[in-house]
Amino acid sequence: MIGYVCKYTPVEVLRAMGADPVLLEPSVTDFNLADTLLHPNICSYAKSVLEEFAGKNYEGVVLTSCCDSIRRLYDTLRARYRQKFIWLLDVPRHDSEAAAQLNAGQIRRMAEAYAAFSGKTFSEDALREILLCHAGDFRPGAEISSTRNLRVALMGNRCGSGLRNLLADCGAQVVADLTCAGEERSFHLPGEGEDLLAGYAGQLLRQVPCLRMADDTAREERIGLITAQADGVIYHTVKFCDIYSYEYAVLRDRLKIPVLKVETDTTRQCEGQIRTRVEAFLESLAAAKGLRPIRPAAGKRGEKHMTVVGIDSGSTSTNAVVMNEKKEILASGSIRTGAKTSASAEKILADVLRQAGLPRENVDLIVSTGYGRVSIPFADRSVTEISCHGKGARYFDPQVRTILDIGGQDSKAIRLSEAGEVEDFVMNDKCAAGTGRFLEAMARTLELEISELGPTALKSTEAVEISSMCTVFAESEVISLIARNQEKADIANGVHRAIAGKAYSLLSRVGPEPEFMMTGGVARNPGVVRAVEEKLGAKLFLCEDPEIVGAVGAALYGLESLEA
Amino acid sequence: MNVAKVYGDAVRRRIPDRPERAGELIRTGLHLESFRCAHFADRRMPKAYRFLNSKAVGVVGDALSHPESYAWTNIFAPAELMQTFGLTCVSMECLASYLSGFWLEDCFIDRAEDVGIASTLCSYHKNFIGAVEAGVIPKPALGVTTSMVCDGNVNTFRYMKRRFGVESCVLDIPQEWSPEGERYVVEQLRGLIGVLEHRTGRKYDEDALREAIRRENRSKEYFRDALRRRVTHSYPNTLTLVLFLLLATHLNIGSQWVLDFFRMLDEEIETYPPATGKRLFWIHITPYSQPTLQSYLNYNDRYAVVCDDFNLDYMEHMDEEHPLEALARKMICNIYNGPFERKAEACAAYAKEFRCDAAVEFCHWGCKQSAGGAMLLKEKMRQTGIPMLILDGDALDRRNNHDGQIRTRFEAFLEVVGGEKGEAG
Repeated sequence: MIGYVCKYTPVEVLRAMGADPVLLEPSVTDFNLADTLLHPNICSYAKSVLEEFAGKNYEGVVLTSCCDSIRRLYDTLRARYRQKFIWLLDVPRHDSEAAAQLNAGQIRRMAEAYAAFSGKTFSEDALREILLCHAGDFRPGAEISSTRNLRVALMGNRCGSGLRNLLADCGAQVVADLTCAGEERSFHLPGEGEDLLAGYAGQLLRQVPCLRMADDTAREERIGLITAQADGVIYHTVKFCDIYSYEYAVLRDRLKIPVLKVETDTTRQCEGQIRTRVEAFLESLAAAKGLRPIRPAAGKRGEKHMTVVGIDSGSTSTNAVVMNEKKEILASGSIRTGAKTSASAEKILADVLRQAGLPRENVDLIVSTGYGRVSIPFADRSVTEISCHGKGARYFDPQVRTILDIGGQDSKAIRLSEAGEVEDFVMNDKCAAGTGRFLEAMARTLELEISELGPTALKSTEAVEISSMCTVFAESEVISLIARNQEKADIANGVHRAIAGKAYSLLSRVGPEPEFMMTGGVARNPGVVRAVEEKLGAKLFLCEDPEIVGAVGAALYGLESLEA
Repeated sequence: MNVAKVYGDAVRRRIPDRPERAGELIRTGLHLESFRCAHFADRRMPKAYRFLNSKAVGVVGDALSHPESYAWTNIFAPAELMQTFGLTCVSMECLASYLSGFWLEDCFIDRAEDVGIASTLCSYHKNFIGAVEAGVIPKPALGVTTSMVCDGNVNTFRYMKRRFGVESCVLDIPQEWSPEGERYVVEQLRGLIGVLEHRTGRKYDEDALREAIRRENRSKEYFRDALRRRVTHSYPNTLTLVLFLLLATHLNIGSQWVLDFFRMLDEEIETYPPATGKRLFWIHITPYSQPTLQSYLNYNDRYAVVCDDFNLDYMEHMDEEHPLEALARKMICNIYNGPFERKAEACAAYAKEFRCDAAVEFCHWGCKQSAGGAMLLKEKMRQTGIPMLILDGDALDRRNNHDGQIRTRFEAFLEVVGGEKGEAG
């Protein structure tokens, strides 16, 4: 078993030599070894390959000079695993005749080195046979089923099976997979009189170019074809691989269909984190296409008097709303999410039903949303908090087009169409900067209650900059400001302006449209609200109870599905 | 009062509504700074460095004032060839550094991230992209980049083509030298010559290129000689001057002023008193605005960066009789290109040749090629008997560093290196 990472690898030559090349798509749990041998700030995929290689018995790995991280992975593996076959193919970035000749020379050298390592030899006849008989590796993206009706194109950097499985779970059909090694390998036998290896080497270079190649005209054409067939694009990037963000930046403006960017770090933990985004995106695609919700509700339908409960299980608080068929809120409540999501959900459900004076059996449907929505066993259906915030915001103010939600552990910006459908959204997570947690940390450092932070900031008289983007750094900055006897009010205001900067950046990425609304627990902080309004140059609409907007949206989805 | 920051704030205020005016102010600022360096520079700065500083700022100011005669390049692009067509190479790293000199990097970096560029990308690239997006940098005659060393180049230049229609040429440089690899690069250089002829209306003048290479060879002889003299003589410098040196060793190499500078440098070092203090070999970029490192390394007799790998990335004699082949070989055999082992060995050899006591590698945010090899480099230096510090940080974005963390690491390292306890200059 010999690993490879890149579509420009001469897999067919390795097969012709009797090797067993395997495309490396590791899903790891940590980067302990890679962070030691490489560096924490290099591409997560390169790090995961190192972890995979260290943990399993590969005879070697054939890498390409595809990017800086993989080149350094090669240097590191070669220094550490001297008994294994560690090879780097220097793949040209042009696809000219001279480049093909150069590539053929590279492949020949690799074949000679592998022969010396393994004793297996290369024969042109074996390669010819493979090119003749073998239609290529069949990649999941190539599978097309006509029975499903939501079509997405996968693009960007390599994604593991996690994302593909998630799309399949949601009933979305992947019409094309233009991720790193996602497309089908397909080569033809070079014509008579043409050098076999040079012909094959040229074809390798003329595959749909990835972004390492100098000329990507053919890629543009391919993207045009793909996107004509798709309802939306899921654009996947890998943490610390920056190459694809350039294309994303161009495409998101240029494409006429919605594009969702998701970033993972190839760890299993990450798959859960992107679930919300992908589901919300598919919900918005389905809505735009006039399709029924992807996940059917299992409630009682068509009844005149209806009672639904929406539960928003967030990382910090769990909120619930009881609503009747007239869309009147009968009760609402909020508690801190404890260590167990389902227990907090159970408790808030009992609380709000008690408030409303309703027995549990009178509830027709329970809809869950929020980060913990899939962990609430008694919910009849779940909808992402993106869609729920969109729906909930319009309940309070039908003019709202852009929502800023700052919760305990993440923050998001959502843009709605005039009709109230989610058009675009971005989320910030994995990093506490710009979230409620950031404020909690800063309040602690300033020795203030979190509820005092906002009112304190309003008394500020001098502008103080908190420049660090990182919570840990910012905390140190606050400590040094305290040491310099800077007023607490000024520091608190600086903290809020830092949050506002982050929030403004999120809002800018969705292309904000007035009217604006702020939701989530942080909307209770007048210091943040003022700072965001100043940065935005517009007023934010606030509702009395900004924590329950998601739960209201969930309840409204419940009513809609009962009425359907 | 920090004059650069105050001036930068005036530029910043104009960026949203009047980006052209902000661009004009940047150009004026560069011309003023060039004049200041030539006539009112810090008295501690040696004459050769005053000349370098003034020229380095002035040529960029001139280039931005005459955009038809400048090219966006990366730091490794064949400046010698471009000069023969009357084009000034201004690398995007250089532009990004100068904008940071006006304390503007935060707004441009945020701008780039807002359009969708990865936050984990090198802040030089983000700063440059954000500034072009903001409309403060005039479009050049063309872009020329090599594929070597940094992933960002091919994509940043492509982005500029897509978004702003700036035509760009990519020179694909193989990882290792071979006769066919050299021919492959020469063929691309010929293609570039065709583009340059078309763009500038000038004919390719091989004799002029030979002359540039001759000046380059002499410049590097002076440079090496100067570094040898630096072993026995002190010669004050700053982290910023290490960066300005890149305009001499790379972007303007082969020009007469660069030759004049290196001659001046070589002659002037001899006039300085005997060397004292600890001698540091710097690896990769110097974070010129980092307060702790500034306090220890700018004009300090106790600790000095005496040389760095970037300015020494290709010191071989070039064959002026075969100028295109020489340029091709120069790019392929650059110590930053190819396997990291090549660079590690070169760093160890330079550190020994120029009698360095210790080495510091600065792992700049977003630079995978440098961070990914840090441990290999440290091992090589350990074998050579030279202690090495790996410092993580951001050479450009002031918000992305924490002074306390850098201070602790750097001071502890100075204690390890020995001599007197850490003392800022």
